[in-house]
Amino acid sequence: MPPDINTAADTGEPSSKFAIQKKRTRLFGLTLDETIRVFFGGNALVAVIVLALITFFLFREGSQFFGQNRDSLRTYRLAGLEYVDIIRQQEEDHTALTRYLFDIRLKAVVQLTEQGIDAAEINRRLAAFDAFSERYSDTIVPIRGLVFELTEVATDIKTRYNENEDYKVARKNFLAAGMKAEADEITIKDLDFAKEIVAITGTVSAYEQINNEYADALKASVTVLPTLPVASLQPRLERFRELTREYLATFPGRLATLKAWDNNAPVKWTEAFTQFIFGTRWLTASFWQDWYGIIPLFVGSLMISCIALFIAVPLGVGAAIYVNQIASPMEQRLIKPAIEFISAIPSVVLGFFGIAVLGQALRALSQWEALSWVPGFPYSERLNALTAGCLLALIAVPTIFTLAEDAINNVPRAFKEASFALGASRMQTIVRIIVPASLSGIVSAVLLGLGRVMGETMVVLLCAGNRIAIPDFTAGFTAFLQPVHTMTGIIAQEMGEVVRGGIHYRALFVVGLVLFFIALLLNFLAQKIVRKYRISIG
Amino acid sequence: MTTVSTNTFASRPSTGRSLEKSTFWIFRIATYVILLAGFAVFGDIVFKGSATVFGAFKTTSSFPYFTNTFLTEAPESLYVFEHKGEKREMGDTEYRAFREKETAAALAAGKPAPVFEAASYVYSAGGIWPCIVGTVLLVVGSMTIALLLGVSSAIFLSEYARDGTFVRFVRLAILNLAGVPSIVFGLFGFGMFVIYFDWNVSLLAGWFTLAFMVLPVVITASEEALKAVPKGFREGSLALGATKWQTIQSNVLPYALPGILTSSILGIARVAGETAPIMFTAAYVVRDKMPWDVEKISDFFFQGVMALPYHIYVVSSKIPQNEYTSRVQYGTAFVFLGIVALIAASSIILRNKLRGRYKW
Repeated sequence: MPPDINTAADTGEPSSKFAIQKKRTRLFGLTLDETIRVFFGGNALVAVIVLALITFFLFREGSQFFGQNRDSLRTYRLAGLEYVDIIRQQEEDHTALTRYLFDIRLKAVVQLTEQGIDAAEINRRLAAFDAFSERYSDTIVPIRGLVFELTEVATDIKTRYNENEDYKVARKNFLAAGMKAEADEITIKDLDFAKEIVAITGTVSAYEQINNEYADALKASVTVLPTLPVASLQPRLERFRELTREYLATFPGRLATLKAWDNNAPVKWTEAFTQFIFGTRWLTASFWQDWYGIIPLFVGSLMISCIALFIAVPLGVGAAIYVNQIASPMEQRLIKPAIEFISAIPSVVLGFFGIAVLGQALRALSQWEALSWVPGFPYSERLNALTAGCLLALIAVPTIFTLAEDAINNVPRAFKEASFALGASRMQTIVRIIVPASLSGIVSAVLLGLGRVMGETMVVLLCAGNRIAIPDFTAGFTAFLQPVHTMTGIIAQEMGEVVRGGIHYRALFVVGLVLFFIALLLNFLAQKIVRKYRISIG
Repeated sequence: MTTVSTNTFASRPSTGRSLEKSTFWIFRIATYVILLAGFAVFGDIVFKGSATVFGAFKTTSSFPYFTNTFLTEAPESLYVFEHKGEKREMGDTEYRAFREKETAAALAAGKPAPVFEAASYVYSAGGIWPCIVGTVLLVVGSMTIALLLGVSSAIFLSEYARDGTFVRFVRLAILNLAGVPSIVFGLFGFGMFVIYFDWNVSLLAGWFTLAFMVLPVVITASEEALKAVPKGFREGSLALGATKWQTIQSNVLPYALPGILTSSILGIARVAGETAPIMFTAAYVVRDKMPWDVEKISDFFFQGVMALPYHIYVVSSKIPQNEYTSRVQYGTAFVFLGIVALIAASSIILRNKLRGRYKW
């Protein structure tokens, strides 16, 4: 430092040392510069630490979910709820079959009405069919009664067990607080599941008898099919008989399952896991059994993302090509900031716009006569996957546009010039040279756009309709017009209402964990694609 | 041979050329559809929202002789009722006063007390002042944290670090952090600050959650600004005998600062606009006290606040849609969009200006 040099020169000491010396202050054995360096380095580490902390805290809160879910499944089995559900499934299958009959009737009525026949006449013509369908649906009554009785019994066992568990916790808390007197007042009657379950499994012979009668009644009911007034529907009725026979064929297997069923069979860890990953029900706060299956939420997220990308990719990439290759400089200067500006619109405002304007507008559009050829139109639900998807497209477009434009901009000039020199037109150059050369960048832009859409919360929470069910894909494109729920939406909606530390709370954290890993995966893929397929000169 | 009257090289119409033209038109339409959609959202909210905001101006007796009730009052319930054959709409406090006055007047005149049958709509009267204050507090606090952490990280990455495992690791973390959904940040903030640190729903928890969320944006932007300062500046300083820190202090930071600040404004827009991270960490649905009404200084940091984005979520999802509620819905959305748009626009304009100014 300058002062040091001066003093050394002025005193003119005969020095064996260097003329230029630096005095260094030291902190913990580090010079000032090194300290500063360490300070900045430490700050740079924050990003790593935050990422680690996110992983840690999501795991910390979520990890116990699988244990709790296993306990819940074990109670489900021990208390015999599972047994009852096996029989209930039989009842539900029957209901599905009766629905098939209703469907046939509906079709017949529609066709007859089109022929100009009045309602009374239609009912008269369908009388034979109605008698048949009534006979058919009445066959299930004994089974339904049994299921009803067993439901009561199983619920009772489960309730008593849960109460007991609550008492145990209370007792433990009292003991921990040193209040022995209060703790002793709590009487715990341990439930003997083996004894209790007899009330359920003991009914198996009764079930067998009822079931045999039911099977006979069912067989008898479909031996003679009624003739429909609409001939074209007769094959469907034949198909119905086929389905009933298939249904009847499952009976022996079901009986065997019931006989082999053991309430003490251990619940494996993998079961708690697969019930979450592949579970098709997300059912909470139910009196019977709570299910935490992520599939309906995942499918909802995926569907909305598909709609959003279906709209956003052509628009975003098209706009990127236009702005970079075709637009005049004046247009370029205006459009780029404008699209960046769109990206600044907060998602909650977009969600509000969806509720207030877009939902109604789309529904009104669907009720327009000229568009009735579109599958699913007209529809009645104002908030559904389509509304949310359209708004998310507006969120994804700026991301895709900016990144794709960057990728196109990075294509070396020489490529374009060489193409022109060979006599290619502008469009040929764009389609054959520019787009292929920047394809890796465009694909990664789409992936990052997908990540943006998947992680978006407020729009889907406000506009997706929030119905937790897997849409009915048998109806084709109509599925996209049904209300759905999403992974992000469920966290935002239910987090505020759950008991801290409860199974529901932990389930939400696991959903967050899944989201986190999906985001990391998409990010990773995007980077990998850019790096692997980058095209450069030479 | 025909006479050549025009330029030989002039383009002649052909199928290829018209195909090219129509394709270009498709691209052009795609671009303008995006702009149109953005404009539709913006226009709808500005058009309907400005009526609420500009309709709320009232004159007062003291300086500055006017006030805007929508911007300066707290939200309250709206009461709609019929009185003496005319329809009246009143906020909560006004309605109570009015009812008492009418009842007293009727009793004094010896008539039976009038019956009020009012329909009430929560949050639909009054204004959004506490929400504006809360949002400003959240933005200021979280951006302070994010800038401190982010700019120092950027200085390290651009000035000190040499390529190696450590730096690769840091860059990877930043890149991945940028892709994490905001709701996951909310969950993380809830798990760590609200529950583990036991800060409850508080400003502090919201600050850190938002700061971590916006960190990648700040780091990337600052690094870019630092990288834009020419190498010669550093070399000149080092050649004169300055230390590394002196060089950064005097020859790098001053020139990079405008760039850092403008790009960080984009981060501010993001912080102000996010709802999901503050839903469980900092935001209250309703709160009577203003943030500065605290007994101890420390209470200030550990209180939840009302925030504009969360208020929009509440008023658009928790109360029904009708003519009375839509006023406050659109008004809030308009003010919020206005604030965010102003921040974003200033960032974009400043950046475009700076790009032109610094050319070394």
